[in-house]
Amino acid sequence: MTGGPPELDPVIHAQARLRVVSALSTLREGDRIAFPRLQDILQMTAGNLSVHLRKLEDAGYVEVAKTHQGRTPTTLISLTRRGRLAFEDYTAALHALLNGTAKLQEES
Amino acid sequence: MNATDDDLPPADPAESLRLIAQERAATERRLTPDSRLLLWPWGLAWLIGFGAYFLRFGPGGHVYVDMPDFLPLAVLLGLITLAGIVTGVVGARARRQISGPTSRQGAMYGITWSVAFLGMAVLFSRISDLLPVPEANLLWAGAMVALTGALHMAGGALWNDRILYALGVWISVVNVVGIIIGPGWHALIVAVFGGGGMLVAGLVSWLRMPR
Repeated sequence: MTGGPPELDPVIHAQARLRVVSALSTLREGDRIAFPRLQDILQMTAGNLSVHLRKLEDAGYVEVAKTHQGRTPTTLISLTRRGRLAFEDYTAALHALLNGTAKLQEES
Repeated sequence: MNATDDDLPPADPAESLRLIAQERAATERRLTPDSRLLLWPWGLAWLIGFGAYFLRFGPGGHVYVDMPDFLPLAVLLGLITLAGIVTGVVGARARRQISGPTSRQGAMYGITWSVAFLGMAVLFSRISDLLPVPEANLLWAGAMVALTGALHMAGGALWNDRILYALGVWISVVNVVGIIIGPGWHALIVAVFGGGGMLVAGLVSWLRMPR
C-alpha cells in the first residue's frame, strides 16, 4: 500500500451494478439464474438490467449464456470467477476505506 | 445513452456496504425456501398422525378413542403425502429458473427420501403381518422415525445446516427413547417431541434467515 485510499472498481461502483453483483454473489459457483428471475428479484426493468449486464459482461465479471430449455430460449446469468474476485476486492476496499476514516477520526 | 441515476456510485463506503448486505439478504430470502413451509407440514402430520396412533393403540393395548383401526394409518399416510407435496412445491418454487449444482443436489436429496422409504415399506409389508399388532406398529413407526432422523442429519450435512442436523439428532434420540419405553408410548413421544421438534426447528430456521 502506498498510503493513498484504495481505489474502487468503477464497474461495480455504481448502485445498479452493485446490486446486480451482490445478488449474483449469493449464488454458488456453477449455479446460474434465468434473466426474468433475476429481474424479478432486483425489481429492475428488462432494458435497464440488460444495459448493466452488458457492462459487467464486457468487464468479464458476468457470464450471459443463451440456451434453450425445451423450446423456449432462456438467458442464464452467473458471476464469473473474475467477477467474484472483483466483488471481494471491492468489499475489502470498502472496509479499508471505512477503517481509514475511523482511524483519521480517532487521530483528530 | 445517458447515465441514469442508478449509474451513480453509492454516497459513501458505508452506504455501499449497506446496499450489498441488503441485496444479498433479499436475494437469499427469495432463493431459500421458507423453512416454516418445509417443516411445519411434517410436524403437524406427525403430531396428528402419531397422536391418532396413540389414541387408538395406546400402551398395553388401551383404546383411548374408539376409531376404526385403519384410521390412524390412513390419517398419517394422508398427511405425510400432503406434507411431501408441499415440501416439493415450496422447494421447487424457491429454486425455479436457477440451474446448476444446487438444484441438482436438492433433487437428489428429495429422491433419496422416496427411495429410502420405499425400500423400507417393501421390506416391512412382507414381514410385519408376522408380528403382533403393537410390535408391528412399533416396527413401522420406529423405522420410519429412525430413517427421518438420519435423513435430516444427512440433509444438515449436505446443506451445512446446523438446525436441520440438530433436528435429525433430536428425532433420532426421541425415537430410541420411545422404542425403549415401548409400543403405545412410542407414538405419543414421537408425536409430541418429534412433531413438536419439527415445528420448533421450522420456526428457529425462519427466525435466523437474513433480513
